Amino acid sequence: MKFMLTFTLKPLVICALAAGLSVLSACKTPPPAPVDQVAKGREIFFNETFAGNGRTCGTCHPAENNFTVDAAFIATLPPNNPLFVAETNADLKRNFENPKLMRQFGLILENLDGFDDLENKFVMRGVPHMLAMRTSVNSNQGPRTGWSGDGAPGDGTLRSFATGAVIQHFTKTLNRVAGVDFRLPTAEELDALEAFTLSLGRQQDLALPLPLKGTVAKRGQEIFLDNRLGKCNLCHANAGATANFGGGNLGNANFNTGVANLPDQPAKLTGEKVPLDDGFGRPGNNTFNTPPLVEAANTGPFFHNNSIETIEGAVAFYNGDSFNKSPAGQVLAGSDPQKIGIKLDATQVVAVAAFLRVINAVESIRQSIEVLEAGAQKGFAAREEAKQSLRRAVIMTEDTIRVLEAGALHPQAVAHLQEAKELANKAARSFFERHSLIKQAIERQRNARAQLVDGF
Amino acid sequence: MLKYWLARVIVVVALAGVLEAFGQEATEMYIPIGESPGVSNKSSLLGTIEAVDPGKRTLTVSGPAGTRKFQITDRTAIWIDRSAQKQRSQTGTLADLRPGRKVEIKPDEGAGQAIAKWIKVQL
Repeated sequence: MKFMLTFTLKPLVICALAAGLSVLSACKTPPPAPVDQVAKGREIFFNETFAGNGRTCGTCHPAENNFTVDAAFIATLPPNNPLFVAETNADLKRNFENPKLMRQFGLILENLDGFDDLENKFVMRGVPHMLAMRTSVNSNQGPRTGWSGDGAPGDGTLRSFATGAVIQHFTKTLNRVAGVDFRLPTAEELDALEAFTLSLGRQQDLALPLPLKGTVAKRGQEIFLDNRLGKCNLCHANAGATANFGGGNLGNANFNTGVANLPDQPAKLTGEKVPLDDGFGRPGNNTFNTPPLVEAANTGPFFHNNSIETIEGAVAFYNGDSFNKSPAGQVLAGSDPQKIGIKLDATQVVAVAAFLRVINAVESIRQSIEVLEAGAQKGFAAREEAKQSLRRAVIMTEDTIRVLEAGALHPQAVAHLQEAKELANKAARSFFERHSLIKQAIERQRNARAQLVDGF
Repeated sequence: MLKYWLARVIVVVALAGVLEAFGQEATEMYIPIGESPGVSNKSSLLGTIEAVDPGKRTLTVSGPAGTRKFQITDRTAIWIDRSAQKQRSQTGTLADLRPGRKVEIKPDEGAGQAIAKWIKVQL
């Protein structure tokens, strides 16, 4: 008992005081918004350009790619897609984006430290997905948005985020004059966008451990939860985005994990100018926000600068010098009886990654079933909406298949998912058998899930 | 158990005030006076400059709720809102704060209500 007390105390105290960690308490989350508010928000999110350069929120957060963009997805877009406005709008040719880094690594330019020196003051960041925000944004010091937790102007809330995004990303020229280069979202639009955003993905955290069936993923879960080995659960409680040092959930937090010190960062290898990203604040304190991990496996590349492509690589990052010499790594080492931050062997790295792949698949299957069920409920008059739901289910299922196959995990589940995908495809084309085909597709999804985990 | 809770209290006390609200200042400068989401008409003061004391670096503003004096520090951001002229907002200085001009002031919640975190002044 004494050991446990010491163990839980040290990380708590040292993290807070030495690592610039924000210790937070979970806040109350607003109750789910009325469906029509969510629908209104969806319409704005995907279609409203705010009289700007043609981009919508969905340009950088497309639903068909888990609300993020990566190089592979970008490669599928036509040249006139508004993501590429820096290539097509002469007023935005310089200092608005770096098309090379966008196309190669999915990086977006942001002027988080001000707009007074556009040539030199900018950062290049990946696009965070927008899933499970209801579980990941809150802290008792205010909501944390964006990669460094300070992405929204005004009161810094998720609701205000779109205002800053319009100014940064939607402008027609670098003058950024409201009413000329764009219009700012109205209060009603901000309300609807917040409602839509909060409706995406998981609405609550998992309760680990899950009764996983796969040998490797199961071991990965043990390592993840072991505060003396993987130590992952300290900052990603229940594979979410909140910290828990043993005394209950402390809410979302920022850490300096040393990502900026990684050698051979892909964007920097190109020779393009990539200024140091100093994270939270102005000037920054080099801390970045903790993202949820359930959604990680299908939303790479990883970290704020998209510096690591695979989930295995992202787990392995915590073995390296960049993390272990960082303030956060030093804190972990300081509280470890062996003075070790995180040290996993290759099999353990792969096991943790397998765990993350499997919980990602379980969540994707849950969402696919939800979408299929929604499709089944649509009547004849709403058959186009039903088709859209089915197409979403197909895309999500393809994604789940990729996540499992890339880790050589659960081939039997993959086979069920392949069938589920085919059935959903058929249902989208079918006039008379739609309901029956959807029912079968749901059954296959459940079969797939039964391969991964017990009791769901 | 007492030790554990004591540590929690120490941490909370140590961190109190370390971080303010997370409003991002970079894009804030382009939001016209009175339109800052969640701030304007809630935690900011909209009014007219009554007096400026460059020596003491204070600003007196009269608004609907009366007159208030704010301290301007080295960390106070001053922005010139030129959106009414359809021109780009600019970073300003104390010299841009002149009696009669319309302003919006956001108090620095971490430092105190009398210290300005940012000031937008309309030209």
